[in-house]
This record gives sequence, structure tokens and C-alpha cells, in this order.
Amino acid sequence: MESLREILSPDFLLRNSVYTSVLVGFICPLVGVYLVLRRLVFMGVALPQVSSTGVAVALSLPLWLGIKMTEHGSHSEHLLAFVGSTVFSLIAILVLAFMERRGRGLPEGRLGTAYVVAAALSILLLSKNRFGEAGWLDLLKGEVITISNFDLALTAAALLLVLAVLGIFHKELLLVSFDRALAVTLRKNVVLWDAIMYLLIGFTVSIAVLSVGPLISFGFLLIPVLTVRLFARNMRQFTITASIVGGVASFLGFWIAYEWDLPVGPTDVVLLGIIFAVVWIGHGLVRVFKKQPREIT
Amino acid sequence: MSNLAIGYEGHAVLSGISLSVARSSFTAILGANGSGKSTLLKTLLGIQRPVSGELRFLGQPVFGYVPQSVELDTLYPLTGFDVALMGVYGRIRAGRLLPRGEQDFVQECLRATAADGFARKKFSQLSGGQKQRVLIARALATKPDVLVLDEPTAGVDAAATHALLEFISRIHQERRLTILLVTHDLPLVRKHAEQVIWLHEGKILHGTVRELLTPERMAEIFEIEI
Repeated sequence: MESLREILSPDFLLRNSVYTSVLVGFICPLVGVYLVLRRLVFMGVALPQVSSTGVAVALSLPLWLGIKMTEHGSHSEHLLAFVGSTVFSLIAILVLAFMERRGRGLPEGRLGTAYVVAAALSILLLSKNRFGEAGWLDLLKGEVITISNFDLALTAAALLLVLAVLGIFHKELLLVSFDRALAVTLRKNVVLWDAIMYLLIGFTVSIAVLSVGPLISFGFLLIPVLTVRLFARNMRQFTITASIVGGVASFLGFWIAYEWDLPVGPTDVVLLGIIFAVVWIGHGLVRVFKKQPREIT
Repeated sequence: MSNLAIGYEGHAVLSGISLSVARSSFTAILGANGSGKSTLLKTLLGIQRPVSGELRFLGQPVFGYVPQSVELDTLYPLTGFDVALMGVYGRIRAGRLLPRGEQDFVQECLRATAADGFARKKFSQLSGGQKQRVLIARALATKPDVLVLDEPTAGVDAAATHALLEFISRIHQERRLTILLVTHDLPLVRKHAEQVIWLHEGKILHGTVRELLTPERMAEIFEIEI
């Protein structure tokens, strides 16, 4: 309990990191709901990795162009990383979604290749970059790094924007995702709503990767959603509960990692995995007990 | 439809379609699997673009579309009511909350299709017939001029099929709705439809049920002897 009191203290050194990962934990599942329901789970794996390659490329640019960066951890470095992450995420999701929609080739193969090449490339690039060695590489491995007040405010503002767009336009986003044909007959601009959906996903992934790294981002995008889907009875319950599971797991993961001196990212993801396993077993037992019909998915 | 060609990615499946569907008529679209029935329907609805030709409407009709329930992903944790509610989305501007009156109207539509009893259950757990009733309620919630049904009785048992078609016939008569029904079921077409569009080996036959669905005419179409 002493460690919990320490984490909750306003003087805690990694205070902003806790706030940021809890924010990411709450918001990522809200976007992940659409990744899962649109059956784009593999995209949820590949995107954070591509986004982290964007960070690596952006941080390598000054070196390639011979521009001197003043100091590690500066706002300009973070801004550069943010631009790299966002640009790569958005380009990747638009290209992958376009190819997905055309329905040609092997989507899993494309996404798998994108994932593995992006992962290798980001490690390669950052290992040859002094900024990378001094913190970014840790982030990409799932270590939580110190976050400034400015970065916390920026992350919170960006994630609240995502939350607002999801909340205000949930009808349109759900309609276009669930029944595109109906959306067309109701004269909705399906291309526009698809684009908004993909931009939201790309933007959230880039913010999450910059804050907590690709491993935790992927974990929070998908595992809370897959967990809650087992028992959710409607969309409202589904999205709100997934968000709560993500936020609470994020805080608990941080606490456990701090208490037992573990890396936060892997701890968060393993905790989410345990929650998923427990709910899955519990759901199975309830179904056997109540003899509920199995859904065909 | 004037000299319309329909198909995918610029390749015509059917061409030279020139026909018109009268307001308040009940038209059945018949044809074997792969004959282009669903493609024709999707082109009419604007889901697919015509390869060439012209498609004209009198005014801007509202389509109430009833897809095959298997086309809807069961991964979504939506109740029957949630699915039916989507029918009113066309009248509500993006970002606006759903007015109470629209929700009540959807409830009315569910009552009209006798789907209100199971509308709070998960859509994925409903039977084929129950799903179709919810989807018809959704189509009615759009306040349609034209009700378009894509094989609504596929995977539905005989009793439910009979009840569904009786219901569609009744709303056709009561509300003077234009009905476009894609089906394989000839006895149902004979009983309920007025007009028939028959797609057969790249040809399109259009006429009344009495003209087209006689044994002699069908033998001629299929080149068989009776």
C-alpha cells in the first residue's frame, strides 16, 4: 500500500507518466472497438509499430540532414516525434484500408510484413541515433519514460478531441461500420465517415505510441475490447466497459510494476491478458451453466 | 432504367436493361444464383454504380432497404432495437441526438412487424425470421417510398416465410408502398407480386405475373417441354 500512496502523491516523479498511461488506457479501447468490430485486428497490431517507425525516422532526419538538435527531451524533439508518428500512422492506415477495401491479395500477409519490417526498422534507426539511445528506444520497448507537463497537456488535449469526435458522431461511425449499404441508401457520405474513422484510429495510435510505446498501445486497443465483447449486451455497455477496463488495468499495471520493479509496458499487457483469460473462463462457465446459445461470429 | 448496364469494376454482368417500375407496384425480381439480381438491386439503391446507361427516379425516393440478414456482422453487440433505430439516422443530422419521438416511432415500427417482443434481445441471437422482422421494421423506420427486400425469406422456415410475405403484402396494400422483392420462391411471387423482372442467361424479361409465370411461358424461357 505504501507504493500506492507514493504513486498517488502529487510529488511522485513519474506522476505524469501515470496520468498519461491511464488516459491512454481509457481512450484506446474506444477506438479499438471499431478496429475489432470492423475486423481490423491485424491493423491494430501493425499500426502502432509503423507509428513507432515514424518516430524513429523523424528523430533520424536531423542526423541525416546534418541539423544539430539542441537537447534530448526538448519540445522540438517531441514535436518532431509527434509529426513523424502521426504522418506514418495516417499514411499507413489509409494505404492499408484502401488495399483492404479492394479485397485483393492477402491482407494478413501485408499487415504481418508491415509489422515485422516496421519493428526491425525502428530499432535499427534508433540504435544509430543518440536521441534514440537516450530514451526513445526504451519507450519502444515498453518502458515508461518521464513525461513533461507540456506533453501531458498535449496528450490529454489530443485524446479528449478523439473522445469528443467519437461521442458526437457515434451514430454515423456505427452506421457506416455496421451496415455500409444502409448508410448509402440513407445518403450518408460513407467515404467521408470512413476517412474520419481512419483518421481517428491513426491519430489515437500515434498519440498512444508516443506516450506509452507500441506494445501497450496495441494491448489497450484490443484486449479490453475483446474482453468486454464476451459479455456486452449493447454498444453503450460495450464501449463504456471496455474503456473502464483499459483505464483501471493501466493504473493497476503501473502500480504492480512499481511495487515489484517490473517494466510497465509488459506488466500492463500481461495484466490485460490475465483479465481476458479470467473473463473468458468465467463467461464459458456461465454459458455452460445457463446453456446460452453460442453466437456465430 | 434506360439502356442500363450493371456489373462490377467496369465489367457488365447484365446490359441493355430498359424498363420502369410503377409507383405503388409490387415487383418481384427473379433469377438463378449469379444472374445479377442483387447487383441490379444494389445499383438501384446507389450502392454500386452502373457500368453505363441511365437510372432515373421521379423525385428523390426514400429507399427502405432490407438486406439478407447474413450480410450483417454478428460481432456487433447490438440489440434488435439498436438495429431498427438505424432506420431513422437518415433524417437526423450528423452529431445531433436522437429525438424521443423518433425512438417512439421505431418502437411503433417494431410493433407493426411484431418484433417488439424480442427487440431488446441481441440481434445476433435472434432467429432468421426474427432478424428479418427487425430489418423490415428498420426499413419502415426510414419512412420509405420504396421498400427493397433482398431475399428476405432466405434461411427462414416455411411458417415464418408465409407470415413475412403476408405482412409485406398487407403494408403494400395499406400504405401503397412500392415493393421490390428479390426471391427464388415462385409460389410466393405468384401469390403476392403484381410485376416480375426475370433475369435469365443475360436476358431480362419484364411483365405481369399472369403474363410471365404461366407454365407455357416458363417452358419457353427454360427451353423445356411440359
